[in-house]
Amino acid sequence: MRTTFQDDLDLLEATLQEEGSLVLRALRGSINALDQRDHELADEVIAFDDDVDARYIAIEEGIQSLLARQTPVASDLRLVLAILHVNLHLERIGDYCVTVAKLSKLVPEVNPGPRFVEGFEEMGSRCEEMIRVALASFQNRDLAGAESLVDLDELVDRANRRIVERILDLGGDPAMREYGLRMVVVSRALERIGDHAVDIGEQIAYLLTAEFREFTDASHPAPREA
Amino acid sequence: MMTDDVTIPINVGPVEIARERKAPAPAQRETVFDIRDLEVNYGPTTAISGVNLEIYRHYITAMIGPSGCGKSTFIRCLNRMNDLVPSAKVEGSVLYRGQDIYADGVDPVEVRRRIGMVFQRANPFPKSIYDNVAWGPRVLGMRNGLDDRVERALTSAALWNEVKDRLKKSALSLSGGQQQRLCIARAIAIEPEVLLLDEPASALDPIATSAIEDLMHDLKKDYTLVIVTHNMQQAARVADLTAFFTLEVAEGRRTGVLVEYDSTDKIFTNPSDKRTEDYVTGRFG
Repeated sequence: MRTTFQDDLDLLEATLQEEGSLVLRALRGSINALDQRDHELADEVIAFDDDVDARYIAIEEGIQSLLARQTPVASDLRLVLAILHVNLHLERIGDYCVTVAKLSKLVPEVNPGPRFVEGFEEMGSRCEEMIRVALASFQNRDLAGAESLVDLDELVDRANRRIVERILDLGGDPAMREYGLRMVVVSRALERIGDHAVDIGEQIAYLLTAEFREFTDASHPAPREA
Repeated sequence: MMTDDVTIPINVGPVEIARERKAPAPAQRETVFDIRDLEVNYGPTTAISGVNLEIYRHYITAMIGPSGCGKSTFIRCLNRMNDLVPSAKVEGSVLYRGQDIYADGVDPVEVRRRIGMVFQRANPFPKSIYDNVAWGPRVLGMRNGLDDRVERALTSAALWNEVKDRLKKSALSLSGGQQQRLCIARAIAIEPEVLLLDEPASALDPIATSAIEDLMHDLKKDYTLVIVTHNMQQAARVADLTAFFTLEVAEGRRTGVLVEYDSTDKIFTNPSDKRTEDYVTGRFG
């Protein structure tokens, strides 16, 4: 048995899960900062990204060393490659949380009504669920769980479209228009977080089946069942 | 800049090259060896049993597996080298281009002329470099253009430039890596179709090993190569197809069996059998 090698692999995967839990905290923080217009919290989320990045770099370095020294093959190789990709997806999700936090500080003093807070709360919660499902599916080597992310993402996409429609109804007041402009980007950031969670699911599927495939293909949409 | 001139090649590119390297198309495979139900016994001991596989022309096929799994025994069956072991008994069939090389009336010397072999330890004759390479052709009566033949073999073995000025020097004055390439030159001087390599680089340093591996890639154009190696990464680097053998223990008897035979890419990214997975990932035993 290659015990050092197995320890290294276990450490990489544990660090990845830790990075995932940090990203979940960043996401919750950024949504709360937005809903409650809490600039202090927004700054915390922005600073917190360094913690996410530290895990990201630790995993990159760990993989570099592992590839150089242990030449993993077969399921070990697939695990290392999957961690490499999931690491990047989580880091990107962390960056989107920073984007949301930064935009929450730029919101003008307007009252667009509770529909927006509710809308972002819904999107944020759905994204949190997707990240949790992705992390748990990775940990449990759960293909069905990974594939379920596609349907969860559809709900995020719908929420995104609803928010965009509400923004279009905001009217012509300059402060409202500025608010709307910021919120389009927030909504888009959350929508992208959902996409990254689906991509994590694809990496889990690769790890388990050794097949490279996209769950959904934007350029060749599969006919949706009614 | 005229953008009209820009064309994106869609037929050849990294994707196609990668695909070709990954799995040589079965349609292009030309069977050289067809091995059926091969069993080898040394006295009361069964070395390998129930081996079925085909070896294809211009492919490098690697045999990997733990010590004692019978991979060397297997490769020795391909040119009747086991005939030299009195207690060895070979059952099943080894068809070389459709002809059973163990059939009555088949001359083992003729078999070995077509199917050459290189061993773990370089074993040049204590003669000159030239004579080592010329020996096979001389014995077989290929006396015409002997100098050219020696040069061709040494060039193919990537040794010519290093030895062309000292062909009359003793082969034993060469380094280990050079001696091994000399043995390859000696084997190909008689223009066999198949070259069997039994751990050809295990006694060599990394640079000499790398030279042998590069050489195998070059030789593939003209020969069919079968290599036995302990070094899994070597199989991963050089072979198109890889066969994994293991030892099966049943009723206190240990027998070598073929577990899995597939493209090297498949064996090292997603093997079908758990025993293969355990071996290539180092979780064996």
